[in-house]
Amino acid sequence: MAQLFRPGANSIAVIIIVAIFVLPTGAVAVSYFLWKSPYATSQYLTLAQPVPFSHEHHVGALGIDCRMCHTGVEKAAFAGLPPTHTCMTCHSQIWTNAQMLAPVRQSLASGTPLHWQRVNRVPDYVFFDHSIHVAKGIGCSVCHGPVQKMALMRQQKPLTMGWCLSCHRHPERYIRPRDQVFNMFWSMPPDQIAQGRKLIAKYLIHTAHMTDCSTCHR
Amino acid sequence: MSPLSGRLELNRRAALKGLAAAMAASMARCSQPTEEIIPYVNMPEGMVAGEPMRFATTLSLAGYGRGFLGISVDGRPIKMEGNPGHPFSLGATDIFAESEVLTLYDPDRSSVIRRKGAIATWDDFAAEWNRVAQTNDGRGLALVTGRTTSPTTLARIDALRTRFPALRWYRYEPVNDDASRAGGRIVFGRVVTALPRWSDADVVLVLDGDPLGHGPDELRIARGYSSRRNGKNRRQRIHVAEPVWTLTGATADFRIALKPGHVREVARLIANGLGAQLGEPRLPDYAHAFAQRVSQELQSAKRRALVLTGEGQPAEMHALCHWINSQLAAPVDYFPPQDPFENDHAYELKSLADDLHARRIKALIVVDSNPVYDAPDMLRIADGIADVPFSAHIGLYRDETAGCCKWTLPLSHALETWGDARALDGTASIVQPLIQRLYPTRTRDEYLAELANEPVTDAYDLTRNSWRKGAPAGGDFEKQWRAALHDGVIAKTAAQPTTASSSRIATLPYAAPQHELVLQLSPDTSVWDGRFANNAWLQECAKPFTRQVWGNAIQIAPADAAKLGIADEETVDVTVGGETVSAPAVIMPGQADGVVAAGWGQGRLSAGRIGTGVGARTCGLGTHPFARSLAGAVVRKSARNVPFRSLQAHTRLNGRTEDLFQIATAGELAPRHGKAAPPPNMLGIPNRGEYAWAMVVDTDACIGCNACVVACQAENNVPVVGPEEVTQGRDMHWLRVDSYARPHGYSLRRGFEPVPCMHCELAPCEPVCPVEASVHDHEGLNVQVYNRCIGTRFCEANCPYKVRRFNWFDYSGAQAYANEGPSLKAQHNPDVSARGRGVMEKCNYCLQRISRARKTAEKQEREIAEGEIVTACQAACPTRAIHFGDLNRANSDVSQLRATPQHYVLLADLNTRPRTTYLKRVYNSDETA
Repeated sequence: MAQLFRPGANSIAVIIIVAIFVLPTGAVAVSYFLWKSPYATSQYLTLAQPVPFSHEHHVGALGIDCRMCHTGVEKAAFAGLPPTHTCMTCHSQIWTNAQMLAPVRQSLASGTPLHWQRVNRVPDYVFFDHSIHVAKGIGCSVCHGPVQKMALMRQQKPLTMGWCLSCHRHPERYIRPRDQVFNMFWSMPPDQIAQGRKLIAKYLIHTAHMTDCSTCHR
Repeated sequence: MSPLSGRLELNRRAALKGLAAAMAASMARCSQPTEEIIPYVNMPEGMVAGEPMRFATTLSLAGYGRGFLGISVDGRPIKMEGNPGHPFSLGATDIFAESEVLTLYDPDRSSVIRRKGAIATWDDFAAEWNRVAQTNDGRGLALVTGRTTSPTTLARIDALRTRFPALRWYRYEPVNDDASRAGGRIVFGRVVTALPRWSDADVVLVLDGDPLGHGPDELRIARGYSSRRNGKNRRQRIHVAEPVWTLTGATADFRIALKPGHVREVARLIANGLGAQLGEPRLPDYAHAFAQRVSQELQSAKRRALVLTGEGQPAEMHALCHWINSQLAAPVDYFPPQDPFENDHAYELKSLADDLHARRIKALIVVDSNPVYDAPDMLRIADGIADVPFSAHIGLYRDETAGCCKWTLPLSHALETWGDARALDGTASIVQPLIQRLYPTRTRDEYLAELANEPVTDAYDLTRNSWRKGAPAGGDFEKQWRAALHDGVIAKTAAQPTTASSSRIATLPYAAPQHELVLQLSPDTSVWDGRFANNAWLQECAKPFTRQVWGNAIQIAPADAAKLGIADEETVDVTVGGETVSAPAVIMPGQADGVVAAGWGQGRLSAGRIGTGVGARTCGLGTHPFARSLAGAVVRKSARNVPFRSLQAHTRLNGRTEDLFQIATAGELAPRHGKAAPPPNMLGIPNRGEYAWAMVVDTDACIGCNACVVACQAENNVPVVGPEEVTQGRDMHWLRVDSYARPHGYSLRRGFEPVPCMHCELAPCEPVCPVEASVHDHEGLNVQVYNRCIGTRFCEANCPYKVRRFNWFDYSGAQAYANEGPSLKAQHNPDVSARGRGVMEKCNYCLQRISRARKTAEKQEREIAEGEIVTACQAACPTRAIHFGDLNRANSDVSQLRATPQHYVLLADLNTRPRTTYLKRVYNSDETA
């Protein structure tokens, strides 16, 4: 009787047996990493804005403080975007005819606000509050990255829950003195962990509550 | 596309192309939706985006102003809270004030000028009005309003009368004080506003009245009531004789159920005891004993005794109570009436009907009133209006009267406009807008100014002008104006109480013996006189005793029900004078035999999508407008079937009333010694974090007004589910007010128990959740993580207190009743998630308020102070029955209350160690009346 299977069938069988195990595991692994990858989190993504506002120029070159425009950052959950009037305090004097700034002038003239694209976005069920982070020594750059080097704003961190928890579980790794919060050029001291622990005690940070669901979700 | 026909032709090839495109599109990244940030062009000064701001404003109920604080986020009013500085709010709210934010965004509001239903312009109206106005000096011109205390509006009406000297102004309010006004005329020769100082009374007798029930004076009286319950002052004794259960009756030490005719005999007996010669009281024996006893108590508590009656009683009864109070030197302040109108309300509505039918009215302007609905059908107001050549209705809704009028003019809501109002004692306050007008509407003052052809027609200027005129000369008006806006009251505007005592006694006629049933009517406990009928929160707000929602019922005494063979919840027809209404019957133990009771305000024919056709219209019965008592009612089983929808039936716990609603007698409350050791358990007690939040609910202070329920709904984005869902046994209230009745002698003791989540330290809901969506935080809150929840409902099944609520449908997103229009979304509190379908939710002790207080305290590097966190229910409560605070502090309010002998735990034998606990209802003695 002739052979039912050709010699190659052995290899095929082995491949199938391996694939039964590898493919689902691989699929899960791929989707797991894909889900956390910049592809899914919008990390490093630069969005088109109505005005190509450059933090590199305003923060890096001119050294304007964050709070000049983001006035709510110490008071409220929402850091706030500047009203057109804030832009025009300077730009009614300098670059008054720049083509780039036409939408700003138009906004002021017509009373229609500028529509900016949100870059750093957390889901609606996350109740993030800027003011408490700033008050407790979490610098802007911890989450927003080196803004002073960004010609156009991009999302520097993944903004996933795991990323949030990496700090909420170990705030000593990221905390800095309160007067350095808005310093974009601050760098960690070599003994950051020890310094961080001291600051946690000094700023009365209740670390136990920081990983409660109710801290961010309600 | 076919080039000739232009028709879309889908052939096989095109379909495959489409399929491929769809597959390709679905393979594209499942991206996050983009979001825009739209800053201001010019940001208002002092504004911080996303942060709540509070503005003092005024809302009127029955024409009387009450000051509240409106919370506004990014220019959207989202919640009303009490104004502690206003004497008729005292920091508390009621269901009507809480629900105004929903009315503001109601998509059914009248939003455009209409002529015979078709959209028209202001110019069209003005042209026609000018024709009407030019032809006469006001003869045949009629103005109909509700009760008006606003100085600005009264000035507008004066201006209108100057232009039209012969103008006839009709003023009526469906829930009015006609009997009390007439009583004042008998005794004092004038109309007075009697405001009892409840907290100064040791003995209170209420004869068929409901001072603790809804009304413009409720919040003030409720505070007085609770001030005598907190243990520092000597406890007050409250006695009530009434035909039908009222909130006041539920607070009574002794309460007896008497027919309205018998109630006045109690007053007769008491008056005789004080030296009046009014003849022999005709009372049944048990009532005689009650009256004797109360009479003695009142006499022995002179200067500290108070007798009150209500609108269900005749003028002579009011006169007699005034006389009794002056004999007892009762703590009552008499004020001149703030309503300047001379005539009584019922008389006015009748005159309107007469003048309409006699064709004396050629032009009719109805301002924020609804006579077609309010008036008895016999008066045939609708027919009368139809015959008037020019009629205009100015109102928030296109209601029944608007439907009869030629013109409908949209009215601005109180939260979008300027204006003013006076409270019962004359305290004036400014109505301050919290938002731009949502639609091109005008205020009452603006319309009247336009009609009177006044030079100034802007509400802001009109209001300011009327106060600038009255401002003291040489004073800084701008400063006073800003102070008035900030404080929510205009300083020194309250009238001085006048002394009113009289030795004149009215004769009190004996009531004719009633052999037929008497139908007792009173304002609906949810929708008042019907003006709130289109408010879904109020329609789904359970009535205090019956727990009924979305409708009204005929309440009937058990003996009468047995006689008529009527079962509970069965639909009955009530016929009075040939007219019939059908509603489900509710058998009410403790209601006087021979009396059936129902509420006004339901059965609206044209309220809007929420309120139209809900319940039965009882105000159409009878011949006399606003009659509270209709004799000769015939009740029989109905051929119709009107479902009885109630909330408490969902979670009925039979046989455990004594355990769940505990009562005590003042004498037996011995102080507790030492702390009882907690019962052992195998799970271990969770550690306490920095704070340990807890709530203590004082059932002794609770009067069952439901303000907390509606406040919770407004604060926490709790959707309504609608009548169909309620019939399925579903509702979404995070906080319910359970109603309990315990037999006592031949009477009942009734009480209320607000039940939010217990936040058990050993929570039964937590171990059964397969995804850890129900978890504890370090401060003792049992929190629900909506994003984790997969909707198994195990937690709900395992919760012994039945406080968990499941989103069977997308109640907050797309379901009917909760989402009749996009404008309603503007009411949502941005600090609270909107829950989706398939998710469990429940009370979280207003986590957003805790979080806000925590952040404020942490930024200032201090602990959260005692009393810094006020939950929405706590803030609303007029009797301060809800206490909230930190158990870790030994001297906090909740810690101290937990140590009192009044304290108890719901279902303590389950050892769930709830953080929400209760104080027992306390009675002065265990005797029966």
